[in-house]
Amino acid sequence: MKYAFFPGCTLEGAAKEALTSTQKIAEALGIELVELEGWTCCGASHVQDIDDLLALSLNARNIALAEKLNLPLLTVCNTCTLMLRSAKQQLDQTPELKDKVNTILGQSGYTYSGSSEVTHLLWVLLKNYGLDNLKKKIKRPLTGLKVASFYGCHILRPPDIMGFENSLNPQSLEKLVEALGAENVAFEKRLDCCGFHAVFPAEQEVLKITGLDCLSAREAGAHCMVTPCPLCQMQLDMYQPDSQKQFKETLTIPVLHLSQLIGLALGLSPQDLGLGRHIVDTHPVLEKILK
Amino acid sequence: MDKITYRIKRFDGTREWFQEYTFPYEKNKTVLWGLIKIRDEQDPTLNFTSACRSAICGSCGVRVNGNAALACKTSLDELLEIYQTSTLTIEPLSNYRVIRDLVVDWEPKLERMKEVKPWLIASEEKDLSLGFIQSEEEFHKISNPTDCILCGCCVSECTQHSTNSQGFYEPFIFTKSYRFTIDSRDNAPSQHLTPSLEKGGLWKCVRCMQCVTKCPKGVRPADHISGLRKESMGLGHQQNKGARHAYAFYDDIRKTGRLNEMTLPLKTEGLTKTLSRRIPLALRLLRKGKLNPLHFPRPVQGIEGVRKIYRLVQKEERS
Ligand code: FES
Repeated sequence: MKYAFFPGCTLEGAAKEALTSTQKIAEALGIELVELEGWTCCGASHVQDIDDLLALSLNARNIALAEKLNLPLLTVCNTCTLMLRSAKQQLDQTPELKDKVNTILGQSGYTYSGSSEVTHLLWVLLKNYGLDNLKKKIKRPLTGLKVASFYGCHILRPPDIMGFENSLNPQSLEKLVEALGAENVAFEKRLDCCGFHAVFPAEQEVLKITGLDCLSAREAGAHCMVTPCPLCQMQLDMYQPDSQKQFKETLTIPVLHLSQLIGLALGLSPQDLGLGRHIVDTHPVLEKILK
Repeated sequence: MDKITYRIKRFDGTREWFQEYTFPYEKNKTVLWGLIKIRDEQDPTLNFTSACRSAICGSCGVRVNGNAALACKTSLDELLEIYQTSTLTIEPLSNYRVIRDLVVDWEPKLERMKEVKPWLIASEEKDLSLGFIQSEEEFHKISNPTDCILCGCCVSECTQHSTNSQGFYEPFIFTKSYRFTIDSRDNAPSQHLTPSLEKGGLWKCVRCMQCVTKCPKGVRPADHISGLRKESMGLGHQQNKGARHAYAFYDDIRKTGRLNEMTLPLKTEGLTKTLSRRIPLALRLLRKGKLNPLHFPRPVQGIEGVRKIYRLVQKEERS
């Protein structure tokens, strides 16, 4: 299995542990990731507010880079996935728009044809790799670990662009967590938003949203949250101490990247997975599984 | 399955409770069919609103298992399949004052909607005998927002509105604001737009996409919010956190292809705010190696091509 890998800006910066853990688990699973040479930021849902044709053209270029390699494009960030898939959908469904964008791309040496799929690590593991194959690679089942599976918005919504599973009652993340040997807890906010994209213009509201998510997971008895999106992870982990100021109840809960949770089950070391780089201490999680 | 149960949230003006109703399953029915059946056969005191039964009047929005839906358009079979159950919990739309049972109060929302003047403000100088003709392209711009039937499903799970109902418009109000701001026949776009910016919290949308997901008519309020942001910057409203934040991404991509997380707060909030408010967060991140002040992204391979895309897009938009 081979994919053109689109890491996204966060993995180069604050969430470097998501990059290393993704690379490590891919290696352990035998999935080859070829990082796209020259990829640019997906626009992160902001560039379209200034110029939607520009956002579309930049992502057409990103996908064209994968097409050049003849590979499907794999992301590990919900928002990157949405931005790239949204561009792909617009280009594939509107021939005039595709022509217009190709005229622009053509002059800087790229062509968008529509041949590369845009997919996410979670989907690949479920649909292409298969949970049965994943189970065979497990060295350290996460028995006894209670996990709150937090999807994040952009891997589900809008469903006409994402569409991997029903957005009202998705099951992929829970199935994966269960395959790793952990136990899912039912919590109210599993499909809610972390607030990340408005953390600057709506700081107080967002800190409340973040806190409610953590509280919901904690009160359901989870030892940690896990998310397939590095932006959700950042928001829920990095801003947890700020959110705490708005709450009387204790919010504290470690928040893991999906790749880290998988890595733990594959027997990788906490250091390799960057579990020391979190703001909220991840030791309580490790204590549950490194017995 | 031979029986379905609705667990309905009741409210009589003072008291709230859940009440269960069980009735025989029938194929190819809607959520509204079940509600009508209960009222006709089991409990005439159950209150809900509906009229057209054809997804046109917008009066039958309810919440099923926590998600807003138009009762007359939502297939029972699909829901039973999605949730793998024979029991559905039905509540009134969230973020509305409840009058009775599933009936919510629209008055304050409609009052608020008037702030964006959801009507055409035509130019007085125009020659009325010629009418206000639109090109096909001009019509297409307003076609999606015009599909709104004011059912209110977009508000129910709106993340920002749920935490900040006073400081953030209902998504359908943004849709109205956008629809009249960009209508080629309108002569006062800022009268429709400015309230969204100044009272509606235009930049506070968290982009959770609940509105787009829940709209039963395919209307895309989140896209209209994007459109309004673009229009507002076009009208010169660029000195706010939201616009500066968006420009930080826009400028960084042109410069190196990627975002510079270090300078993002500075560009969004300015030096004073960053120094006074972000220090604890920055220290926290530095300690864990999450922030590297020495990391300045180098231009990506092919950056000249990226910059050329910027120039060509601008040229295309000017033409
Ligand atoms: S009854 Fe008119 S929209 Fe449902």
